[in-house]
Amino acid sequence: MAIARLFIANRGEIALRVARAAQALNIETVLGVSEADRDSAAARLVDRTIVLGPGPAARSYLDAKLVVQAAKATGCDALHPGYGFLSERAMFAQLCEDHGIIFVGPQPDIIDALGDKLRAREMASAAGVPLVPGSGEIGSAADARRIADEIGYPVLLKAAAGGGGRGMVIANNGEEVEAGYGRASAEALAAFNDGTLFMERFVPEARHVEVQLIGDGQGKVVHFGERDCSVQRRYQKLIEEAPSVAMPDSLRAALHKAAVDLAASVDYRNAGTVEFLYDVMRQEVYFIEVNARIQVEHPVSEMVSGVDLVQQQLRVAGGQGLSMAQDDVVLSGHAIECRINAEDAARGFTPVPGTITRWAPPEGEGIRLDSHMSSGAAIPPFYDSMVGKLIVHGKDRAEAVSRLTDALDDFTVEGVPTTIDLHRQIVRHPDFIANAFHTRWLEQVMLAEPAIAAE
Amino acid sequence: MSAADRTAELEQLIAEFEKSGLRELHVVRDGVEIYLSNDAGSIGLSTGASAAPAPSSPVSPAAAGTVPPSPAADSLPAAETWPEGAEIVRAPYLGTFYRAPKPGSPAYVEVGSAVTAESELCLVEVMKLFTTVRACSDGIVHAILSADGALVEADQPLFVIVKG
Repeated sequence: MAIARLFIANRGEIALRVARAAQALNIETVLGVSEADRDSAAARLVDRTIVLGPGPAARSYLDAKLVVQAAKATGCDALHPGYGFLSERAMFAQLCEDHGIIFVGPQPDIIDALGDKLRAREMASAAGVPLVPGSGEIGSAADARRIADEIGYPVLLKAAAGGGGRGMVIANNGEEVEAGYGRASAEALAAFNDGTLFMERFVPEARHVEVQLIGDGQGKVVHFGERDCSVQRRYQKLIEEAPSVAMPDSLRAALHKAAVDLAASVDYRNAGTVEFLYDVMRQEVYFIEVNARIQVEHPVSEMVSGVDLVQQQLRVAGGQGLSMAQDDVVLSGHAIECRINAEDAARGFTPVPGTITRWAPPEGEGIRLDSHMSSGAAIPPFYDSMVGKLIVHGKDRAEAVSRLTDALDDFTVEGVPTTIDLHRQIVRHPDFIANAFHTRWLEQVMLAEPAIAAE
Repeated sequence: MSAADRTAELEQLIAEFEKSGLRELHVVRDGVEIYLSNDAGSIGLSTGASAAPAPSSPVSPAAAGTVPPSPAADSLPAAETWPEGAEIVRAPYLGTFYRAPKPGSPAYVEVGSAVTAESELCLVEVMKLFTTVRACSDGIVHAILSADGALVEADQPLFVIVKG
């Protein structure tokens, strides 16, 4: 049954993006908004808007029962959660199903399983997907040294109950492992009341590479190549590109197969992304996690494949299946996306809400802009700071970088500070141009350079 | 403090508030809670923080998008409103003021709490960025100037700390 009326349970650029995809498929659209977003670009585009509640997300976009009630009250037969908010909550997907509303996403039990890192790791292992070499629980400093010798240095000692970097020690040799064991265990005990440690290989120069795919829920999975998202700050992606030109073709094929095998093994339904760490020095990839939703950076895969991934999401959710097989997907050229955030780089990248007084984006061949902004648009203080995504496409990476450089120079935003200036510096940096960076490059190298740090 | 002194202090506080240009003032002190507002649509805090108006007040797009100018230091109630040596702790930026680390948890501090310079007083959140605000001086929390969950402006006074 194809979807007739879709409830869009999100805001900003992704709400606009979903509404356009739905309208292209002749699906009616209803948007649930907070009071802060009732005059947003998405609200103007959709067929009907319903106000969920006040600005704070906890009282509008994150109130699962309220959102489902709104979808039901407006006669929607399906709900698209976008990304963030409730998009990966199994409980929310179940609530939709319980009320007879198609959830445009994976089955609730699959969301649950993939959201648990240990279970996801087990599923990946069962599907033959490579995992970062590591250990189970470690009993003593001597054991730690023996295991580290087997894994190979450097290694990372991690608290089993940990998070946020606490109880974590990087060791480059046996002596450092033995010395670090007691320290990490004591820190873990103090922080988590549990001193249990385990170990993983530490990858000092890693690239973040992820495979975009869509599954139909019946075992058919098609991938749309990989993206490289290594330009990050505090684990937040700033630039994403497709393909990953750092990767040899033989490894690329293995990466795609691993991602598809994992998704197929669980009859995955929806757009999804399998994330990997690429160890450049060893030329190996390791599974990290699965994102069971459409992602912010999906446009770069759309630019190189020519496939509208959100339309495919809606087709799959409506039971119409994928409109293509793997052989139909032809990847061509190179695409790069910059996330434009309303942040003040000079004040530690503090987000700045306010009003856009001038919004003059670039236009031209190979340029796409996904944004809900315009001159006079308000940026409320309640949500994240992303105000748009600039995406370019070229015949190869060099042309894409050149096009992006020009496009960023032509992009004028006034009223609030944005990260456009930072992007202008990144795309001109010799390391970026030479594709010689890793996940910690932006913070450790570029932002640490005196000329950048002074700004 | 006698009833007459308390009345005189209250009158002085109201007079200073009217001169200050502040939109709202919330003071909890010596068991007395005072909420002053220049906003006709505002709801008083008669039953404590749970009745705070700001979290439940819809913020219109215009209000959210047009950030009013921050109150300047000279718009504060006059220093003599507070005991000698009082330190004012201000919001680092426009955002939502949270008195507890997470919903349902006890507040970081109450009026009368002893604090050191490193003590955490509150969180201010803007666009998913949470910043811990610290006391920055040793003393006693003399007044809490905003309601939990309220939208505060950059540099808005949040706490009065008095050296104990």
